[in-house]
Amino acid sequence: MEIEQLEIHDFLQQTHPLNKLDGATLKQLATAIEITYHPREDVVLEPGHNNHWLYMIRSGAVIRTDHQDGLVAQFGSGDFFGHRAIERGGLIKNKVSCLEDSLFYLIPDTLYHTLMQEVPAFNDYFSQQKNQRLKSALHELQANHDNILIKSRVADFLHPALTIDASLSIQDTAQLMQQQDKTSALVLDAAEKTILGIVTDRAFCTKVVADGIPAQQSIDQVMTHNPVCIDPHSNGLEAMLLMTRLNIRHLPVVQDGSLVGMVTATDLIHHQSHNPIYLVNEIHKATDLAQVVSLSQQIPTALVKLVAAGLHAKDIAHSISSIGRAIIQKVIKQTIQELGPAPIRFAYLVAGSLARNDQTAHSDQDNGLLLADNYEPAQHGCYFQQLASTVSDWLNRCGYVYCPGDVMASNEQWRQPLAVWQSYFERWILTPEPKALMYASIFFDLRCVYGDASLLDELHESVKQLIQQQRRFLAFMAANAQQNKPPLGLFRRFVLEQHGAEHKTLDMKKRGILPLTDVARVFALDAGTALINTRDRIQAACQAGVISSEAADDLIDSHDFLCTVRLQHQVKNIQAGQAANNHVNPDELSSLERRHLKDAFELISTYQDVVSQKYNQGQL
Amino acid sequence: MFDWFNHNKRLLQHALKHQPQGALKHYLTTPLPDLNQPALAVDYLVLDFETTGLNPYQDHIISLGYTHISQGRIQLKQCRHALIKTNKKLTSDNVSIHQITDDDLAAGIDVQTMMEWLLTQMAGKALAVHYQKIEHDFLQQLSLQLYGHRLPLCVVDTLAIERRYLERQNQPIQPNQLRLFNLREQYHLPRYHAHNALEDALATAELLLAQIKHRQRQGYPLKLKDISH
Repeated sequence: MEIEQLEIHDFLQQTHPLNKLDGATLKQLATAIEITYHPREDVVLEPGHNNHWLYMIRSGAVIRTDHQDGLVAQFGSGDFFGHRAIERGGLIKNKVSCLEDSLFYLIPDTLYHTLMQEVPAFNDYFSQQKNQRLKSALHELQANHDNILIKSRVADFLHPALTIDASLSIQDTAQLMQQQDKTSALVLDAAEKTILGIVTDRAFCTKVVADGIPAQQSIDQVMTHNPVCIDPHSNGLEAMLLMTRLNIRHLPVVQDGSLVGMVTATDLIHHQSHNPIYLVNEIHKATDLAQVVSLSQQIPTALVKLVAAGLHAKDIAHSISSIGRAIIQKVIKQTIQELGPAPIRFAYLVAGSLARNDQTAHSDQDNGLLLADNYEPAQHGCYFQQLASTVSDWLNRCGYVYCPGDVMASNEQWRQPLAVWQSYFERWILTPEPKALMYASIFFDLRCVYGDASLLDELHESVKQLIQQQRRFLAFMAANAQQNKPPLGLFRRFVLEQHGAEHKTLDMKKRGILPLTDVARVFALDAGTALINTRDRIQAACQAGVISSEAADDLIDSHDFLCTVRLQHQVKNIQAGQAANNHVNPDELSSLERRHLKDAFELISTYQDVVSQKYNQGQL
Repeated sequence: MFDWFNHNKRLLQHALKHQPQGALKHYLTTPLPDLNQPALAVDYLVLDFETTGLNPYQDHIISLGYTHISQGRIQLKQCRHALIKTNKKLTSDNVSIHQITDDDLAAGIDVQTMMEWLLTQMAGKALAVHYQKIEHDFLQQLSLQLYGHRLPLCVVDTLAIERRYLERQNQPIQPNQLRLFNLREQYHLPRYHAHNALEDALATAELLLAQIKHRQRQGYPLKLKDISH
């Protein structure tokens, strides 16, 4: 029996970077392998000893303790260790011990050196650190589609041109343009083949009116002769550059000498911005809320288009969050129109992903009402109660379902005057019990979507002062940020949640994005910044000197990578006719994606430990 | 223990009377491993037979797979798998388990060749198997047929190791608990899907390492005599 027929061979072949080896080399590797087993708690590599093997974990998990910086790393099935010692000539510096009973495939150091020299992919893998690996993966993911205009062809967005005869009068031309809703007309020769000139709406202003030319004269008196044309195969960026350079807004599209249509600056803008801006506009223009409900159903389509256009994950989340806020603003505005103006000042607040600009799909509604301190329950209570419950009902109809934890303005607890909100924060900060910390993490991410934002500013200011006096609170928030631990690996420790009828999947939000959000929030509180977006918070914490720029890079790269993977998953959901969710099935990921995901999880885990050490020293 | 030593000594004396040649002579004149060696220092030949049934007097060996353990590490370069020629027709029952057809079998080696191979590989080593009634009994029956005597053997049986352990702990043994794949699961070894003699030999080898290392971890400085018959 050949070694290729063994299961071991399959396992090697599926593991990055061994999957980059050619058949003969892989066979050579498989033959050289020796297998060993260590029970849980066994020390595999002991500092000071010598190691001459590259260890590959077949099953189980190990932990590496780094004595220089106290950081730990965990490895699971498909991971390698021992190469650092090999690179040092065999001397082991960091202890590696088993977290679980583990089976290892051992590759001799001589073969490791040969592969490092002969196989570039193998060399890349073992010479790069995980944060570098993640960065290059991210780069690859995004490099796919840098600018959508480059990828699009003029032919994709041209529309039929209005063509006229040179003898048509100026007035008749204007009427034709108006009837056909065109901003330009092309003047053709008698054979209707050659373009003699172009008339745009601007010509009526700059030539007809400005020069006082009678409307009965023929159009060729005011047209621009021999307009610049473009080929339908040119890309969108070329069209845009041409327009910018010549300061024009219309380009006739000509293929092999014949006219095929017209492309305008508006077409390009529409194409580039896709639906979000359009959708936000439509939401604001809607005349009743039933329209808003149906517009909200276009969010999944907008998401698919944004991802297909290759936009950065942060921009996509920002766009989708803008749509979400437009919906809630419209709902509040319409409701107030029906109820009449509010009796006192208020700020309608949203929390969670909508506030953080992190939203990619419909989420639960998390909101609250911050009222001015002249609030009198007997006098004003009824109005705001009606406002909040109507808004909440409409949001539910728009797909933002009721918050299961009842964190909504329709709940009286979260519909209170400023002084009460201030007392809430004071209680959470001074007596940080688990429930308080949960509320604190929700309400530290607040954004005013409607009403008087200065009320929220006032609240923020008093909270900021409280925190500065109560540094101990950071320790509690830091401990709270440990709650959602990212999974450690993909085959073994990848915790796959069982929920409902779905298969075993990974909750990207809970196990990846939320832990990062929590860590970023602690850094932001420490830095005293009022920013809410996770990426912004990380950058601000870096500028304030709370974290190093390497740490900021690591966290941002991890965040971007997780968000990108989640977006791709949600696009698959939508295209399969399902609602977008956060539950990624490991099967949909390539082995490389799993690998990078694991790097991201490891980085998050590391920074969770950093946060815990930084703020908890001797305080808990 | 003392019985074991005397038993093998008697087998050896008896065997030497038959004036062995070649691989058999080499095997018989190489001492069996020292029972007082640490269990991890011993060299093992880990063997698995696929057979047409459980009875060594009637049934035949269809294929064999083996690997070596040396210094506590399984050596993939020492893996072998071979089909064994037999005149007995396969029943559809055991074909489905092993997925070997008569045509495959025809291409195999004969039992004499297999025996010479094994004797060469086994010299000076302990023979590790899972459930010795198959490998041990078929091997001894074959030796009797080919050479007229049985072989002195140092057998380590992963099933027996586990059974003795459970008995000492006074723990009840569930019907399927001692099967190779259930035991592997207990030691958190990966689940293998393939079912052939070499995969099973590897699976047994990994189980043996796990058993030895777990007992050592619990503070028993295991010697070969603690795990062999």
